[in-house]
Amino acid sequence: MNNFLKAPDFFKANVEGLPSTMLKARSGGDGQAKKMDGQGKKIRAGKVWLVGAGPGDAELLTLKALRAINSADVIFYDYLVSAEIRALFPKNIPSFYVGKAKNKHSIAQENLNQLLVSQAQLGLNVCRIKGGDPFVFGRGGEELLALRTAGIDADVIPGITSASGCSTYADIPLTHRGLSQGCTFVTGHAEKNLDVNWDALAQLKHTLVFYMGLTRANDISAKLLAGGLAADTPVAIIENGCRKDQRNIISTLSELPADVIREQVQSPALIIVGEVVRMKEKLQSTVKAHAAEAHYLLA
Amino acid sequence: MDYFPVFLDLKKRRCLLVGGGDVATRKGRLLAKAGASLRVVAPEISTELRGLVIVSKGEIFEREYQASDLQDCVLAIAATDIESLNEKISADAQTLHIPVNVVDSPALCTYITPAIIDRSPLVIAVSSGGEAPVLARLVRAKLETLIPASYGKLAQIASQWRERIKTRFDNGDSRRKFWEKILQGPAAELMMNGQEDAANKFIDDELANDQSQLTKGEVYLVGGGPGDPELLTLRALRLMQQADVVLYDRLVSDAVMELVRRDAERIYVGKRRNEHAMEQENINQLLVDLAKQGKRVLRLKGGDPFIFGRGGEEIELLAQNDIPFQVVPGITAASGCAAYAGIPLTHRDYAQSVRFVTGHLKSDDTNLSWPELANPTQTLVFYMGLVGLKEICESLIAHGRAATTPVALIEKGTTQDQRVLIADLNTIAGVVAVNDVHAPTLFIVGDVVKLHDSLKWFKTN
Repeated sequence: MNNFLKAPDFFKANVEGLPSTMLKARSGGDGQAKKMDGQGKKIRAGKVWLVGAGPGDAELLTLKALRAINSADVIFYDYLVSAEIRALFPKNIPSFYVGKAKNKHSIAQENLNQLLVSQAQLGLNVCRIKGGDPFVFGRGGEELLALRTAGIDADVIPGITSASGCSTYADIPLTHRGLSQGCTFVTGHAEKNLDVNWDALAQLKHTLVFYMGLTRANDISAKLLAGGLAADTPVAIIENGCRKDQRNIISTLSELPADVIREQVQSPALIIVGEVVRMKEKLQSTVKAHAAEAHYLLA
Repeated sequence: MDYFPVFLDLKKRRCLLVGGGDVATRKGRLLAKAGASLRVVAPEISTELRGLVIVSKGEIFEREYQASDLQDCVLAIAATDIESLNEKISADAQTLHIPVNVVDSPALCTYITPAIIDRSPLVIAVSSGGEAPVLARLVRAKLETLIPASYGKLAQIASQWRERIKTRFDNGDSRRKFWEKILQGPAAELMMNGQEDAANKFIDDELANDQSQLTKGEVYLVGGGPGDPELLTLRALRLMQQADVVLYDRLVSDAVMELVRRDAERIYVGKRRNEHAMEQENINQLLVDLAKQGKRVLRLKGGDPFIFGRGGEEIELLAQNDIPFQVVPGITAASGCAAYAGIPLTHRDYAQSVRFVTGHLKSDDTNLSWPELANPTQTLVFYMGLVGLKEICESLIAHGRAATTPVALIEKGTTQDQRVLIADLNTIAGVVAVNDVHAPTLFIVGDVVKLHDSLKWFKTN
């Protein structure tokens, strides 16, 4: 239903033409107040919401996120915003896809920052919505800084970060008495070397969550093993978390790389390492006859 | 009432759409979704609209409009920029008694299109009769909040059961009660979570049950977020609205409690520091007992149940007792406070990872790996760290984290009473001492705190 344009096409086709297209769309819209007076007089800058859409389930949107979606004149979203959530975008305002699937960083962050600024300067209220939470591996800080520097009024609306949503939907508490007294989120993003003190990580009684860690499964496994974590440390790989097709693969630290390949795990996926993963088994073993009924979030 | 509301069956019926731009494309999408066969007329037609015509087995005429285009059409929409053309289309259609809508020109319309909440087969249309479209849009937004995306699924499954339930209950009143139970209870939750088979089995069991013991309780373990009621998830709000009894603690803000169903029973279970109104074991047991009485029990927690929320412990006992339950993640305090304080938890230049630690040191402090916590490229977030604050800072410095590392202490984050105190590892304990800080607090350590000054945006009263 939405303008799901591929990033390069989007920029070729729309970046320059975008402002006028939008104003036209607005003036042709359903009775919206027009912010351009037609004589090119100065217009008041719009507001920008940096919105976390959460992990995928539309019901995990916050009330505030939904309000931003419904108050915007234009929406920019990325690939982690699920189809179910995109379906909630009002039909009478334009929405644009701005990346970023893995290896498709075709829209430089700087261009995106500039795009948000320029749209707001046209007087449009802009909803910039991204998967998870804007401030946890969401680069929301960079976008916010660009907006504030340009004097644009901007709010940040936190979202359920993937670690929280996916673990819950997989029945794995991130902290649990006796098993884990904290959790660490690490990005496995391919552009960078993982900046992690592996030896120390391995020694903690702690849950580790790797975002976008699929291509780093080898590294994660080898280095945590070298750091002293046991080979049978339980690992959960959660593919398409909080979506209808969520898949949970339970593995161990030593089997992780092989399981990622054998199960052909696809992005988006999250890797959870730690004893808390055993909670899942525990629940499954205690719920018997009415497993599905008694425990219906079990994917 | 200025307009008579109707839903038109347009399946395979020809509809005229004049125009080929953005607005026409949006109208085309809706018509195609309703199964209409499109006849699109315009000198230039967008790629998407062309696709829609093909899918709808319709026709394209790449030229100016002519009156004969209306032939065989049951509905007309004009979405062009040319006023005179719009007027002509409207007049032509009215001559032929074909309902016509001209986008943004109510005077030329014989019908208007509403704002839509689409949960097909459930569809809700909202109109202000053209008087206040923005108000209609706000109402739509409110309804979007109230009606879960998965209600469509619910309606589909309900329709499959309609005949059987009708046969089973000949009395209209008992039938209605049965439906109310099914559509608000575990069966509905199963359906909306995509577990159709389990839902069908549940309804089947209920139908087979002679005495119709529709008294099966369930538990919702829900994250209430950090304080701002607008940070509740849609699912949390929905479950809060249908619970019979709610168990809550001091981390749930008053503003959030306001949104719990008015006639739900409220039970306060603690826990202020040193004031455990109820031990954890008793809470776990109470959840089981209430559910066994057939109640829909809401266990509402601040933040996220699975991040320092002891949610796992509560689930364990429920699972052992075969009580249906679901867990709804919430915005954890770290996320909420960071966003509202303008402090990104990760940032390209400052932090590649973030760690959440509980600040309740007590007997656990030997387990904290201080050398790893001293890693300068990692953001640390301490939950409930006020009591151990001084000790935490000293230990971090002792293990090599720079004494000048910036820190933020966020008091009552995301609420109208939010206060952010900025200092460094060396000075924060002193700042806290002179500022009369109260729980709940959250403590963020790391270079990302430097961004607070330029990124802060949240204004309190």
